[in-house]
Amino acid sequence: MSEPDRSRSLDVRRAAARPRLARTLLMFFSVIGPGIITANADNDVGGIQTYSIAGAQFGYSMLWLLIPVTVALIVTQEMCARMGAVTGKGLADLIRENFGVKVTTIVLLLFVLSDLGNTAAEFAGIAFASPVFQQYIPFLTKYLLVPAAAIFVFVMVTRGNYRVVEKVFFAFCVVYLAYVVSGFVVHPPWGAVLKATVLPHFSPTQAYVTTAIAVIGTTISPWMQFYIQSAIVEKGVRIKDYPYSRIDVITGAIITDVIAFFIVVACAATIYVHNEHLAPGAHPLSVNTAGDVATALQPLAGKYASLLFAIGLLNAAIFTASILPLSTAYYVCEAFGFESGVENSFRQAPVFYALYAGLIVIGGGIVLVASDAFQNVIIFYSQVLNGVLLPLVLVLMLLLINKPRLMGRYTNNLAFNAIAWTTVVTVGGLTVLSTIQLIMNAGS
Amino acid sequence: MAFHDGFVSQLVGRTAMLDRNGERTPVGRVVDFVVEHPEDSFPRVDAVAVKTREGRKLAPIADVKEISEDGTLLLSAPPTIDAPPDDETLYLVEDLFDKQIVDVNGRKVVRINDLELARTTGAMRVVAADIGVAGLLRRLGGDRIAPGLIARIPRHLIAWHNVAPLHDLNPEQIRLSVSHARLARMRPSDLADIIGELSAQDAARVVGSLDDEQAADALEHLNPERQRTLIDDLGTERAADIIEEMDSDDAADLLGDLSADKQQELLAEMDPRTAEELRELTTYDENTAGGLMTTEFVWIYPHRSAAATIQKIREIAPETEFIYYLYVTDQAKNLLGVLSLRTLLLADPDAPIHSLMDSDLVSVATDTSSEEVASTIARYDLLACPVLDPSGTMLGLVTVDDAIDAILPERLKRKLPRFTRHHQRSAEKAV
Repeated sequence: MSEPDRSRSLDVRRAAARPRLARTLLMFFSVIGPGIITANADNDVGGIQTYSIAGAQFGYSMLWLLIPVTVALIVTQEMCARMGAVTGKGLADLIRENFGVKVTTIVLLLFVLSDLGNTAAEFAGIAFASPVFQQYIPFLTKYLLVPAAAIFVFVMVTRGNYRVVEKVFFAFCVVYLAYVVSGFVVHPPWGAVLKATVLPHFSPTQAYVTTAIAVIGTTISPWMQFYIQSAIVEKGVRIKDYPYSRIDVITGAIITDVIAFFIVVACAATIYVHNEHLAPGAHPLSVNTAGDVATALQPLAGKYASLLFAIGLLNAAIFTASILPLSTAYYVCEAFGFESGVENSFRQAPVFYALYAGLIVIGGGIVLVASDAFQNVIIFYSQVLNGVLLPLVLVLMLLLINKPRLMGRYTNNLAFNAIAWTTVVTVGGLTVLSTIQLIMNAGS
Repeated sequence: MAFHDGFVSQLVGRTAMLDRNGERTPVGRVVDFVVEHPEDSFPRVDAVAVKTREGRKLAPIADVKEISEDGTLLLSAPPTIDAPPDDETLYLVEDLFDKQIVDVNGRKVVRINDLELARTTGAMRVVAADIGVAGLLRRLGGDRIAPGLIARIPRHLIAWHNVAPLHDLNPEQIRLSVSHARLARMRPSDLADIIGELSAQDAARVVGSLDDEQAADALEHLNPERQRTLIDDLGTERAADIIEEMDSDDAADLLGDLSADKQQELLAEMDPRTAEELRELTTYDENTAGGLMTTEFVWIYPHRSAAATIQKIREIAPETEFIYYLYVTDQAKNLLGVLSLRTLLLADPDAPIHSLMDSDLVSVATDTSSEEVASTIARYDLLACPVLDPSGTMLGLVTVDDAIDAILPERLKRKLPRFTRHHQRSAEKAV
C-alpha cells in the first residue's frame, strides 16, 4: 500500500462524512420498515375491536393505560429486533436451536392454533365492515369481500417480492390515518381527553379490569415477536445499523398506540357520551364487535365517520391477513427444517403451502359458512391459546437474549433486564389472569 | 456390543451401569457422545458423556463393554475424565442436534433431527444425519406413543460424508473444520444458493472458510445486497483478497455498490495494478459495455508463429478466465484482428498469426448499452465481444454469459448455468 493511496482514502472518508444529516436520513430509510409495519399490523381487527369497546364502555378513562402499554410494547419488540440483528436468525430458529425439539413443538403447535383463530378474526373483521360498504355499493357483501380479500392476499404474497410487498404494507400503514381523522371528525373535548391520558384512573370493577387486561393483551401478541425478528433478518439489518432499527421500533410502537388512542377517543366521544345522556326508557347502544362500532357511529357522528371506521377495519383485516398466515407457515417450516418459501412449487414445499393455504382457506371459510356462535368459539379459544403462549414466548425471549454465547456483548444490561422482566411478568401475569377470566365467564 | 445400529436419540437419557464381573451399579445417565475426527467420512464415536453425581464425565469408548438392545450402557470402569467444554470438542447432541447443516450432495440447508449410528469395521460410527419427519417424531418420543409408527415413515437420511455442519467453521479450530473441505466440493453457483439461505453470520463463516478463489467464485453468484453484507463481515483485508480474485467486471459491479470510503479502503488493500483497473471499471455505468466488460483477455502479437503463441497461452491462460478468442494487437494494444482457439490449434505451427487472424472486426464502445451488446453477440454468434476506446485500443471484452446476465430478468437468471465456466470446467476435467 503506497502513501498517496492512504491519504486519498482518508480524504474521501472525510468528504463522505460531511453531509451528516443526509447520510443519517439515508441510513434510517434503508433500515426502517419492520418496526413500523409490525406494530401497525398489530392494530388488527381484534385490536380495533378492543380499543373501540374500551372507548364505548369506559369513555376516556382508559386512555392513560396506553402510555405504559407503549413502553411494554417497545421493550418486547426491541428485544426481538436486537436478537434478529445480532444473530441473523428468526425467533423460531433460535428456540429450536437452543431449547430443542420438544419446546419448539409445543410453542409452534400453540402458535398455529392461535394464528388460525387470529386469521379467522381478521376475515370476520371484513365481514363486520361489509354492511357499511353495502349502503353505498349494494353488492359488496361479505360473500364477495372475504374471498376477494383472500385472493388478493394470496396473489400479492406469492407474486410480489419482499421489497414490493413492504411498500404495499407501508401504504396499509397510511390508511390507518383514517382512525386519526375519525377521531377529529367527532369533535371530542380535547381538554378532558388530554387530562385522562396523563392522569391514571382506576375503577375497581370487574368489567374495567377485564377490558384493561384485554387492551394490554391485544397490543402485545406472540406472533409479532416472531414477525419483527424475521423482518429484521430479512431486511439484513446488521448490528452497526441497529440504532436506526431501534428508532424504527420505537416509532412503530408510538404510531400504533397513537392510532389506538384515536380509536378510543372516537368511540368515547360518540357511543359512550350517547349512552351517558340517554333519555329515560331508551336503550343504550351495545357494542360487542368492531362492526357494531362502525354501525353505531353513523347516526352519532355522520356517515363519513362511519365509513372511515369501516375502511380502517377492512384495511387492518387485509393487512394482518397478509402477514399472519404466511409468517406462521414460514416459522413452522424453518424450525422443523421443511422446505419453505413462495419461490418453491407445491411439490417442493408441500408442508409450507398446506399450512399457508390451510390458514387462509379455513380462516376465511369459517367466516363464510360457520354460524356467528361458532365463529365466536374459534376466536375465543384462539385468545385462550394466546394467553398461554405469550408468557411462554416472552420467557423464552428473555432466556435467549441473556445468553452471551448468542448475543455477545448485546445481552440485556441489568436495568433493561429489570424493565423487561417486569414487563414480561406483568403482561404474562395479566394475560394468564384474563385467560382464566375468559374461561370462567364462558363457563358461567 | 449388542447394539448394532440405531439413533443417538434412542441412547441419550439411558442408564449407564458399571459392570464388574456381572455386578451392576448405575453410575449416571448417558447425555452425549464425543467425536474427535468428524472430518472422517464416517467418524468413530470416541467417548460417551455421562451425567454422574460428580458432574459430566467422559467414558472412553474402550471402557464401554456393551450397549444392550434397550440402550443401557455397560462400562468396565467408572467414567472419570472431566468432560471438556463444548467449544473444544465435538459433541453430537450439544453441537449437532437441531442445528443447520449443508447437505453437500442435495445442495440444501437442512436441520439435523437425529444422528444414525452403526457398528462397522470394529467401531461405533456416525453414519448419517436424519433430517426427516421420522427423526422429529423419534425425538418427540413417538416410539413410546405409537410403537411401530416411525418405522413406517419413509426415512430421510444424509450420509455423513455429505454433511457440512455450519457451526464448526471457526478458523481457529482447524481441527474441527469438517465443513471446509466438503463445501469446497460444491459448485460455486450451488454454494452461492446455499449462502443465500444462511443467516448473515453463518454466510460470513462459510465464505470465510473457503480459499480466496472459491470465495470469489461464490461471491460472483450472489446478489448485490448479500455481497455487501459479506464484504462488511469479512473485514477489509480478506474482502480485498477475495475481490481481487473475482472477474474484473463482477468485482467492479460489487465495488460500485459500496460507499465511496469503503471502496477506497478495499482498493488500498489490493495490488496497485488491479486496484487501478478496478477503479477505472467502476466509473462505467453498470448497464453499458464498460460496466459489463472484464479486462482479463488474451492478447497476442501478429508476427509470432502459431506454435509460439500456443506456448505463450499455456503460460498465461491459467490466470485468464476467457481464452477461446485470442485478440491480436500491436504494442499499443490497438486491436488488429481476432482468432479463435480452434483456428490456432488447427493451424500450421509455423504460420504467423497475422495470416490466421480475422481482421473483419465486430466491437462495441464502453458506452454501448447492454441490450445492444447482447444483440451484437447474438447476431454474430460470438462467445465474446471486444470493447474498444475511440482510438481503437482494446480495453476489455464482454462474454456471452455476462451479456445474457445483464439482459435477463432476475428470476430467470438464477436458473441458468454459466456457460463459459461450465465449458471450462469440463475442459479442465478432460485434461
